[in-house]
Amino acid sequence: MLRFFTTFILLQVALFAAELTPWGQHYFVVPWTDTVAAISAWLLTLFDPNVAAAGKVLRSTGNGFAVSIEAGCNGIEATIALVAAIFAFPASWRDRLIGLGVGIVAVQGLNIVRVISLFYLGQWSMKAFDWAHLYVWQALIMLDVLVVWLIWVLMLPREGVAGGSPTGPAGGSPAPASA
Amino acid sequence: MTDPFRRSLAGLIVRVFAWLPVTFAIWYVAAPILLWPAAFMAEIIGRSAWADIIRGVERARAELTFVTTLKAGSAGGRSGDIVVGVDLLLYSFGLPLYAALVLAAKEPRWPRRLLFGYAVLMPFVAWGALADFLKTIAITMGSQIASQTGFVAWQREAIAFSYQFGALILPTVVPLVVWVVTHRPLLERLRARSGA
Repeated sequence: MLRFFTTFILLQVALFAAELTPWGQHYFVVPWTDTVAAISAWLLTLFDPNVAAAGKVLRSTGNGFAVSIEAGCNGIEATIALVAAIFAFPASWRDRLIGLGVGIVAVQGLNIVRVISLFYLGQWSMKAFDWAHLYVWQALIMLDVLVVWLIWVLMLPREGVAGGSPTGPAGGSPAPASA
Repeated sequence: MTDPFRRSLAGLIVRVFAWLPVTFAIWYVAAPILLWPAAFMAEIIGRSAWADIIRGVERARAELTFVTTLKAGSAGGRSGDIVVGVDLLLYSFGLPLYAALVLAAKEPRWPRRLLFGYAVLMPFVAWGALADFLKTIAITMGSQIASQTGFVAWQREAIAFSYQFGALILPTVVPLVVWVVTHRPLLERLRARSGA
């Protein structure tokens, strides 16, 4: 348990610090954010022709309302939390890669739902937009990370979690065989 | 994945979503009371660590207002004290998330788990509020104000990092970590039902 949380926290801090560096911003955050905006705009234009994307900005060509996808709304912090949690947990590299692949798609998929919902909420009510943007969606995205990680951990083969389950990991007694 | 496992996990997730509107509503309405310990901590730490900058701290609902000794210059030679407002709600939305998870888990002695998580989360809310205040005076308000704070380059970098970490990571990650730590028996039972 202690080893898992120590590794998780160290990875989380290291990845977050790397994200904030000019290199991290230039080569990772900006392209990632632009891609989130482009995918959101593409999905929106399938059923709403009055949407345009320029960089990280989504704009309604109908009423001029626009949202800019900033830090915290691009899903990178949630992805960092998931990556840290998966790598901190004792498992085979194959299981980790499967968890990362499926998990990142799940987190980013929900993040695109967040961006699209905020785009329309803002056109309806700025108060609802602020509430959803500042509080509710932040919590939901991280809840998504928890659910994805839980499913991954609980589906790991028994030997993959020996001495490392969240219920009895490294340093402590091994997880009971039947548990 | 077995059916009992699917039902258990799906049931947990459904209950979390059922509790979230309730816990968010309680958190928003009761914020002045719920966040009082965090506000108190932020005030005590702030006034101790930066006594030369913070003259006083006022509280109104879930907002902290730091009254500083920093001066805003003006063309007419007159100047006013800089006042910085910080919204504690921005750093405490993990509370309703944690409460929803605890209530949805339906574990024995849940009030104790709820109180434990609440106590653990308060210092992190105070962290967010203080880092927000420091970021505002050391970075956002520009060089005229920043020069009065006496912070050097590496301190401003540390403040920027603390603010980003306190705003983007801590409010949501800490509640989840505390929930995992306090719900090991539940996770063990879920694992038993997963059949993995």
